[in-house]
Amino acid sequence: MKKSLYLLVSIALLCVIVFLSACSKDKTEKNPTAGLTKITEGYVVGAAAKAEIYTKETALTTGYTKLYIALYDSITGKRLDDAHIHLYPEMDMGTMKHSAPFENPASTDAVDQLFPCSVTFIMSSMGGNWTLKLDVHNHANDKEGSLILPLTVAEPALSRQKSFTAAHNGAKYFISLVNPTAAYSKVGINDMEIVIYKKASMMSWPADSSLSVILTPEMPTMGHGSPNNVNPVHIGSGHYKGKVNFTMTGLWRLNLDFMSGTAVADTTQSFDVQF
Amino acid sequence: MKFTFLLTLLFAGIAMQAQVSPSQLSDDSTRSIELREIQVNTTARNDRQRMLQFYRGNLSAGIEDIMTRLPEISLIRRGTYGMEPAIRSLSGGQINVLLDGMRIHGACTDKMDPATIYIEPVNLDEVQLQTGTQGFLYGASIGGTVNLKTATATCHNTGKISGSISSGFQSAAKSFYESAQLRYSSGKMAVLSTATWRNSEVYRSGGGQKIPFSQYQKVNYSTAFSYQLNDRTLLKADYIGDHGWNIGYPALPMDVGYAVARIGSVSLVKEQPGNRLYQWTTKLYANQIRHYMDDTHRPNVPMHMDMPGRSLTWGMYTEGQVKLNNQQQLQLIADFSSTRLKASMTMYENGQPPMYMLTWPDNRKDQAGIGASWKWRADSNWTFQSVIRLDYISTALTSQEAKDHISILGVNDAGRQEVLKNISVTANRKMAGWLQGHLSIAYAGRMPTATELYGFYLFNAQDGYDYLGNPSLKPEQSLHGEFRLQAQGKKARVSTTVFYHHIRNYISGTIDPSFSTMTIGAHGVKKFSALSYAELSGVEVSLLLEPLAALDIVSTLRYTQGKDNTGDPLPMIAPLKNINTVRYQFRYFFIQGETETAAAQNKVSHKYGEDPTPGYFLLHLRSGFPFHLMGKKTDLQYGVENLLDKNYHEHLDWGNVKRPGRNVYLMLKWFF
Repeated sequence: MKKSLYLLVSIALLCVIVFLSACSKDKTEKNPTAGLTKITEGYVVGAAAKAEIYTKETALTTGYTKLYIALYDSITGKRLDDAHIHLYPEMDMGTMKHSAPFENPASTDAVDQLFPCSVTFIMSSMGGNWTLKLDVHNHANDKEGSLILPLTVAEPALSRQKSFTAAHNGAKYFISLVNPTAAYSKVGINDMEIVIYKKASMMSWPADSSLSVILTPEMPTMGHGSPNNVNPVHIGSGHYKGKVNFTMTGLWRLNLDFMSGTAVADTTQSFDVQF
Repeated sequence: MKFTFLLTLLFAGIAMQAQVSPSQLSDDSTRSIELREIQVNTTARNDRQRMLQFYRGNLSAGIEDIMTRLPEISLIRRGTYGMEPAIRSLSGGQINVLLDGMRIHGACTDKMDPATIYIEPVNLDEVQLQTGTQGFLYGASIGGTVNLKTATATCHNTGKISGSISSGFQSAAKSFYESAQLRYSSGKMAVLSTATWRNSEVYRSGGGQKIPFSQYQKVNYSTAFSYQLNDRTLLKADYIGDHGWNIGYPALPMDVGYAVARIGSVSLVKEQPGNRLYQWTTKLYANQIRHYMDDTHRPNVPMHMDMPGRSLTWGMYTEGQVKLNNQQQLQLIADFSSTRLKASMTMYENGQPPMYMLTWPDNRKDQAGIGASWKWRADSNWTFQSVIRLDYISTALTSQEAKDHISILGVNDAGRQEVLKNISVTANRKMAGWLQGHLSIAYAGRMPTATELYGFYLFNAQDGYDYLGNPSLKPEQSLHGEFRLQAQGKKARVSTTVFYHHIRNYISGTIDPSFSTMTIGAHGVKKFSALSYAELSGVEVSLLLEPLAALDIVSTLRYTQGKDNTGDPLPMIAPLKNINTVRYQFRYFFIQGETETAAAQNKVSHKYGEDPTPGYFLLHLRSGFPFHLMGKKTDLQYGVENLLDKNYHEHLDWGNVKRPGRNVYLMLKWFF
């Protein structure tokens, strides 16, 4: 008797909890671009769409940059959730042009009403003019079009973008720090992520998965390191993930050695993080 | 015969009989009358108490000076101020240092502030020392307990203000000492207030060299308030405040800029609340310590840093004495305490953001325990005692920031829960009218300290290593015993004690080469880990003689040795030491000579960065007499310490910093 009463009360409580949590979910209509900064926008001629480009930072800087594209119907202003988007970043240096590493939206379906993608700006706008061309296939009306957006890319105080010519094959690699960023660093264990791209030609920058990475963090002012770091390993599309430990706040240097099998590719690179 | 028997009881800790004849050798008059009347003395009036009482006669002696005269106690010295007591070479978390039964945790990660610094002789009632076989009654420990009992305001119906003013000067450090004590009692109410000011400049060592960063200044004040609720119930409220500043630590890379302690308690003491329950004390207490280290006065500091720390403890205990029958007596205690600690370090480099880390990541220790001490006088020759205690201890990191710090050490959940069991059995046998034997065996455990569990790159200036805590450390456990033979005649009292500790999971720092040092100039990083075992053994001899009514001779000798599981000597073990004191009283005038002799210590721990320490011989001369000043009794004492101006240091002195040289002192105490 007592047991069944318990059961009844428990079930009732559970129902209340489920009901309450369901309620709260309904209430919050999340703004997908909350916390993001709109960098630029334009109309995709031919696709009857308007594109807005957002980032998590307040401005574009050199290095791996996550972009979030919001698409709208250019007439109704309604969000478009189904589109095929292709990026073409280009740097016009006057005498020559080159592209940059990029990642197209992984799917034609928007994630939280946005199309996440990335461009790794390998230099700042000091060297010329950056443009980002978007080819959009609007699945809502089956129309295709494109848009060219000029972008301004600044050099950050602490560089997130480095390159080296590998000792083992003479190829040029571009490395960029994704995590940790100053804003998300803490004393403790931090997720560490870099991307590695190989320069195949001026217009081709494929992701690399061939290198292995050795991480050695240090505090240059103090001359000490930190324990129990985890070397970044390749997880796909040129992304290498590991862990970096900070024992105190301040300026940290993440020294990176790159190996190709047992052959040394480079041992001169580092990223600075300050928090 | 009867005298001998009584001593047996006294030694064991509690006198059950009212008709205790006062000792011929020493007076214990500081105990209040009330306590004598109800036939209880919770203090061991043993040789230790006699010695402490004897050395308290020296007005210029601080708490540390008094304690260090006991053969069981040695002091770890990092500066002139704040020496850390060790009982039989066990210190820190291995012993309890209590203040009126209250737990106090220093707020300094470098142990600059042991609880003993918060009591001044002027508000001290007595120093209670219990070694490892019984000292765990007040808290799980393997090395014993030092309890500093503060003076109580006693209710007499005088309605008068009385007190004393003391003033002193010491030449070695050009230090001044001023203190005042004020008593007022009217009917059911009594107040005792004290205030002390100390100002000490850098001192000169033997040979005349000045020791830089050995200065200190402090103010200490206390108020004890008593209210007699009824014939048998006393309500007490006590408060101690202590402010120290500009405290130099010559053996450390930093000094103390400012340190403040606030210690308060409320207690209820019931005398004979029941037929068998003849004393019952309940105390509620809280204390807070803030501590700011300072390197701004040091030359060649590679990087300026701030190191603040704070500790907050509150707790309560209730303790009762039960007389089961004429042969058996029970002491029961139940207590709870909770301590929160936090310490951080911020380093500054021009043109860069400050570098901040937690050195004691926010942590909390909750402890609850019950203990019992049962005493049984089996017959006129045998007395037995058993002490048991059970503790539940829980420690945890209390902030996400703290957990993030410790996660670097590869630990996910740093919280700990332990149940500690401590037990001891003691047998006392009167072998002859003048001789008695005493054998104690104990099994005890102690919880690792916050530093040992959660310390985050704590620099140890003695061995030059950064220390990292280890949240998975097991409790240290010790099987130990002591055997004592005590003989006394009418004019002499000799006691010899041998002891042995076998400590399992002995906590010690071991070098971990996978870590890089944090402190600039450190040799490496040590992580606290448990050695499979360590051993400590030693002997203590004390001799109290009174060949003439006017002549007292006190002599003590101690020797301790320790080794770890590899046979290497343990660190911080004092060498063979002998102290002899002769005091001659001629009418009101007394003269006292003391010799202090220490052998060289060559059994040193190289792992701990120790080097051998040469032996030394010191001579102190003291004298004094009372006279009347403005119609009031006045004590004048003066003397010379280290008369031969020996340039020396003790083995437990960090950084081999030399001790003060010849020191002439003068002390005046005016009673009103």
